[in-house]
Amino acid sequence: MRHFRTLLAHELRSAALSWNTWAAAALFLALMGGIHFFALVDGARAPNSRAPVEATLWFFWLPLLCVLPLLTMRTFAEERRSGTLTALLTTPASPAAVVWAKFLSVWIVWTLFWLAFAAFPFLAAQRLDGANARALGEASSLWGGLCFIAVSGLLHVAIGILCSCVTRSAALAALLAFISLLALTAAGGALETLPIESWEWLGWLREPAAHLRTFGHLQDFTDGVLDARPLVLYGTGTLLCLGLAVLTVEGQE
Amino acid sequence: MNEAAPLPEAAVVAERLTKRYGSLTAVEDLSFSVAPGEIVGFLGPNGAGKSTTMRILAGTMSGTSGRAAIWGVSVALDPAGAKRHLAYMPENNPLPEDLRVEEYLTLRARLKDVAPERVAERVRRVMEDCDLTRRASGRLIGQLSKGFRQRVGIADALLAEPRVVILDEPTIGLDPHQILGIRELIRSLRGKMAVLISSHILHEVEQVCDKVVIINRGRLVAQGRTEDLRRELLPEVTFTVVTRAEEAALLAACRSAEPAAGVVAVASADGWNTFRVALPTGSPARETLAGALVGAGLALREIAEERFGLEDIFLAATRRAPGEGRRS
Repeated sequence: MRHFRTLLAHELRSAALSWNTWAAAALFLALMGGIHFFALVDGARAPNSRAPVEATLWFFWLPLLCVLPLLTMRTFAEERRSGTLTALLTTPASPAAVVWAKFLSVWIVWTLFWLAFAAFPFLAAQRLDGANARALGEASSLWGGLCFIAVSGLLHVAIGILCSCVTRSAALAALLAFISLLALTAAGGALETLPIESWEWLGWLREPAAHLRTFGHLQDFTDGVLDARPLVLYGTGTLLCLGLAVLTVEGQE
Repeated sequence: MNEAAPLPEAAVVAERLTKRYGSLTAVEDLSFSVAPGEIVGFLGPNGAGKSTTMRILAGTMSGTSGRAAIWGVSVALDPAGAKRHLAYMPENNPLPEDLRVEEYLTLRARLKDVAPERVAERVRRVMEDCDLTRRASGRLIGQLSKGFRQRVGIADALLAEPRVVILDEPTIGLDPHQILGIRELIRSLRGKMAVLISSHILHEVEQVCDKVVIINRGRLVAQGRTEDLRRELLPEVTFTVVTRAEEAALLAACRSAEPAAGVVAVASADGWNTFRVALPTGSPARETLAGALVGAGLALREIAEERFGLEDIFLAATRRAPGEGRRS
């Protein structure tokens, strides 16, 4: 991992100069800006239990499925297609350093996108008087939600990186990431809706279903509930995906 | 140059290298070596297994069996250690399109463990050596011509002053001026770095290399110095003789100088006959043969020795069965 810092600096610089990143940022901010606007309008029309900030964060899956694959798809697939990955691996830089540098670079960009989104609620609050501004939602909910995005983002980005490792086509990598992230996000909810309690032979699914409830994790974070289980899930999932990505890069011929 | 260390006997060692893709054998039982500071041409027809062998030596592909070592370090057991002594330029020389030449070389220098205080100096030096400073340093690699891209690839290979440089078709797509420039550059590496270079331009290899390794269908067919291979693969010296004499008289005159001489009629015009005279290698020189013919009273207009180039050696080597007549 001796070359990790050099590679990370290079990846961040490339991301900052890439049209792909800026297009993804524009799409992300347009999506989240639009969702937040409608959440504000909806909240003003019929105040409900969920504040506009929380209601907006509830749609985190939309940029997760539409924007994150755009960030991860080119990381390895494009380099494999052009052959620059082979050239990179002729240097003493290890495949692990390459994988971790690309992973961390995308994760930083993804987190920055969400930090940029945080400007929307602040801008909205500035334009409203005190009482109405409070109705937008607690700042702690926003920061809790962003922490969830950052923690779960580790696994989400790692999945995208792994998908990009297994193909030379960036489009296919994006599609694989989309399907994988959709499956992961929906799995917990889908399992929870199944009548597992009444099917004894499905009893073993109870525990995994409880761990995979992504929206439950978001709720916990926005409520300020600190549970170690999601941290372990996202942490181990990230290490597993990146380990597989390193093996894939090492095994490429 | 890397820090002082005991000089290994061979900078590059391929020992019984084999690479199989399912039932297809790309490289089989291939053994050769490159001495420190030596420039070796790696030749073979298309699909012979040159690029596969080079990729195994560079550590970007694993062999099925056999041993590859760079500067005494096993490529399979210590890939990072081997890469520290090696620079490899792949066949199509893949480069990132969106980086400027200087940025790219600076990144590569850092990845190749060039000391931080020497990075700028090394980048400037290789850009000067490869004639990139004036016309390409600030340009995006994606905007460069094929020739300049090849120069960037070679500049990258020389950046960290490696002990071994492997160049896969470094002059492909270059014009004659550029080829000359690259050839001079490679020649300047003699004695400093061990260079293994593959090329289809045999004249270029002959001009630059100390010895050649020829493979065919994944197996070694010949290796050694060009002169030695010429003697081994083309065991005759051939002369073109234009004379008024008939074949029998010429043969008798030639055999007076060399009993194993052979004569073949080639053409006849205006009373002058053209013959090809074949003598075993090490036979009398042209002057001796000419003296014998004149001494026999033959009217002689021309006597010229036919020089066999690397092309002839290559054709002779690749025609024979793989594995036959290997040299070490």
